[in-house]
Parts: sequence; C-alpha cells; structure tokens
Amino acid sequence: MKGLILKDLLNLKGTFKTLGVMMLLFAVIFIPAGNNFVFGMIIFMFAMMVITTISYDDLAKWDAYALTMPVTRKEIVLSKYLVMGILNISGTIVALLIGIIGTMIMGRHFSMEILAIIGVIFLIALIFGSLILPLIYKFGAEKARLMLIICVLIPMGIFFLLAQMNVPIPTEGNPWICLLLLLGFTLGGLILSFLISLRLYEKKEF
Amino acid sequence: MINALEIRNLNKKYGDFQLKDVSFNVPKGSIVGFIGENGAGKTTTLKAILNLVGRDSGIIEMMGMDIIKEEKKIKENIGVVFDGCNFHDNLTTGDISKMMGCIYENWNPVIYKKYLSNFKLPENKNIKEFSRGMKMKLQIGVALSHEPTFLILDEATSGLDPIVREEILDVFMDFIQDEEHSILISSHITSDLDKIADYIVFIHQGEILLNEEKETLLDGMGVLKCGSEEFSKLDQDEYIRYRKNQFGYEILVKDKWNIKKKYPEAIVDGVSIEEIMLFYIKGEK
Repeated sequence: MKGLILKDLLNLKGTFKTLGVMMLLFAVIFIPAGNNFVFGMIIFMFAMMVITTISYDDLAKWDAYALTMPVTRKEIVLSKYLVMGILNISGTIVALLIGIIGTMIMGRHFSMEILAIIGVIFLIALIFGSLILPLIYKFGAEKARLMLIICVLIPMGIFFLLAQMNVPIPTEGNPWICLLLLLGFTLGGLILSFLISLRLYEKKEF
Repeated sequence: MINALEIRNLNKKYGDFQLKDVSFNVPKGSIVGFIGENGAGKTTTLKAILNLVGRDSGIIEMMGMDIIKEEKKIKENIGVVFDGCNFHDNLTTGDISKMMGCIYENWNPVIYKKYLSNFKLPENKNIKEFSRGMKMKLQIGVALSHEPTFLILDEATSGLDPIVREEILDVFMDFIQDEEHSILISSHITSDLDKIADYIVFIHQGEILLNEEKETLLDGMGVLKCGSEEFSKLDQDEYIRYRKNQFGYEILVKDKWNIKKKYPEAIVDGVSIEEIMLFYIKGEK
C-alpha cells in the first residue's frame, strides 16, 4: 500500500510545482488585503488533487494493472483515502505557514480567527472528499467532477434562498459545540464514504 | 506434471458475449499461445484468470492454488503485461523502481537495472517521451524484475516493429530456460507463436476450438488443394474445414501423411498457425 501512495505522490510532482507558483501569486494578492479567502483556496486546491490522481490512473488504465500485483482492492481504495488525507493535511500546513508568515510580514497579530477558519476549511475539504470519492468510484472521474460542482451549488443555493426569505440563521451559539458537531460529522462521513467506495470497488469489473 | 495454470469449465456472461466452458492448462516449463480474433474472448479469459472480472462458474488454479483464496501469494509470483503501457506519463524509470520495491516483496532493483540497460532504456526520463516499443520493453522488464515464475502476456507484442518483437521474444526464450517458469501469451500475431509456443489454445466466440501441442498441429495438419471432383471423394472425418475459391478447393486436413498415402497424386502443403486460424473461422465444415 505504501507503494500505491508513493505512486500518487510521485505522479503529482509536476502539479505540486505549478501549485506552488499559483499559491505564491495568491498569497501576494490576497494577504495584504487581509483576505482570508486565500486559505480556503489553498486547502481546496490541495484536496482536489486526489481527483487528479484518479484521472491519471484512468488515463494509464492503472487500476487493472495494479490488481495484477500483490495488492488487494481494499488496499487500493484505502490508499486513495490516505492520499486524500495526506493532501488535505499538507494543504492545511501550507495555509497555516502562509497565514503566519503573512501576518508577520504585514505586522499584524496572528489571530485565533485565522486558525479557526483554517481548521473549519480543513474539515469541510474532508467532507467534500468523502462525497466525491464514492461518486468517482460509481461514475468515473469526469462525471464526478461535474457532480461535485452541483453538490457545492445546491447547499449554496439553499443557503441563499433561506437568506432571501429572511429565515433566521443561528449565528450565536457555543463555537465549541459547533466544532465538535462538525468534527463528528466529518469523521462519520469519512468512514461511511470509505465503506461505500469499498463496496463499489469490490464489485467493479475491469 | 504440475500446471502453472489450470482452468476448468470457466463460464462468464458479459452482455451478449459469453465464455462457454473454457478449459485449458499451462503446463510448467512451457509456453502456451492463446490465439483468436479480436473479441473472441482472449482478454476476458485472461482477466478472469487475474480476478479482474468475476466469473459465473468454473475453477481456476495457479501453481496448484485457488486464485481467489491465495490471491496475494499468487500475484507475488506472476508477471503481467497488457497491450499498453500502464505507467503514468510523469513517472521515470527510477520512480517505478521505488514504488514497485514497496509493492513486491521480491522486487530486485539489480535485475531491473539490468533489463533497463539491455533494452537501452534511459534512466531518468519521463515515460511520456518513450516510444511504444520502449514502453512495452519497460513493461516487460518490470514484469520480470520481481522474479516471477509465471508470465501472463496479453497482446504484448502487437503494434511493435519486427526488430523489437524479436528482441522481446528472445527475452521470453531466456525466461523459459528455467524449467520452473511458464508463459501464457495471447496474441493475434501468430507468426510470433509459430516461433516460440509449445502449445496452441485457440478460442473462437467464447469457446475453445483447439488445444494442442504446436508440433503435433503443424506436423499433422496440412492443406490439400484439389478440384471439386476429388473433394467429393473425401470422407467427412478426413478434413476439418474447407474453403472454395475460383481454382478449386483448399481443405484443412487432420492428418496430411494419411491423405498423401491415400491420394498419392494430390498436393498437400504444410500449414501455419495463421492458416489454421483462418480455416477455422472463415472455412466451412
């Protein structure tokens, strides 16, 4: 399984380089403005690279080949989830570093707010990952990409609609309880997602 | 004799295509050529052997072990090459060694390096820049570098020029020198199999039509050329298939020596695997 993870990371070598340049650009544009949007961008760009790895696999017809090796289907699926985890964590670390360096350069104080934003985005990125991996295993990387966009648009639409209709959205409340709920939700979603992906993949014919 | 591969009554339905009671063996120490047209069921059979697709019924064993129960152990000991390159464009040959070292217990970087240099493959270039011949040589080198005892090759030589094919066939001949080693090679380039195969298994529309030692086939079978008058004298069980053309009849006979004895004036030629295949598919009974 280590080999499978290594394969994905080696494959992303080129992408990492492009990403680095893009991130530098973003940081230069957004940090002086004190815009926290940049952290979300960074984490999501890293997180979504797991889709890129699967597109590469499809292109090379890798999965059928990998299954001729001493590798089980479960290991292949698990390795994808681990790659997603590694990418999310790397993105989060990069975001944190940019946050710390950025505030230092700008002479501002690194606030708990940035830390909270980064933490929440990290969890949301994991939720999206949990959503898209089973979709990919069911429909393939290209269709799943489109579906993900829909998955993002629907909750945003609902949110927008609620705001338009002046439905009160609870803004106050214990942030710790919210965080705990989000954490539980993410973890539960991740496990459920893995089990669904595994089921789909075990039945797949190449 | 122990078989490297044993398939008994494999059945698999795939939409409107079906494998029907496919059975054959790959005896240890031999090369079995698996032939058939495109869509005859070669790849499906190989995928069933590798557990890439499920099967409806049948028993498949490799090295005497059930392929589902002992899957990991079996896959540690086989090398597989499909008809294309399955490595990602961005990888280098060095990257492949690193990851395969983590996947196979027996991965041997020394052997791998040796194959790379034998095949004249550049060490730190992206695979993107490799030609098709180089990619296939790389796949074969990789398949041999964890010291497998059984090679499964699906159209591994098709689409390659004669020089590269020759080079690759030489590697297979080297591999088979060890009596513990065996090869199952599917191909529609039958001339390659004329050179290296010990047995020929011929699949047509999901059924095995022929499963025979190559020498027996080529020594025994022949093509009788004659007119319609002589053809009408032939017994039904003396020939396998016949084809009619403007000059008369071409008849694939089971035992050319017998025919020669019986009809001393007749012209009976030898036959190649390709001709046998064509007779079976295009000829009439």
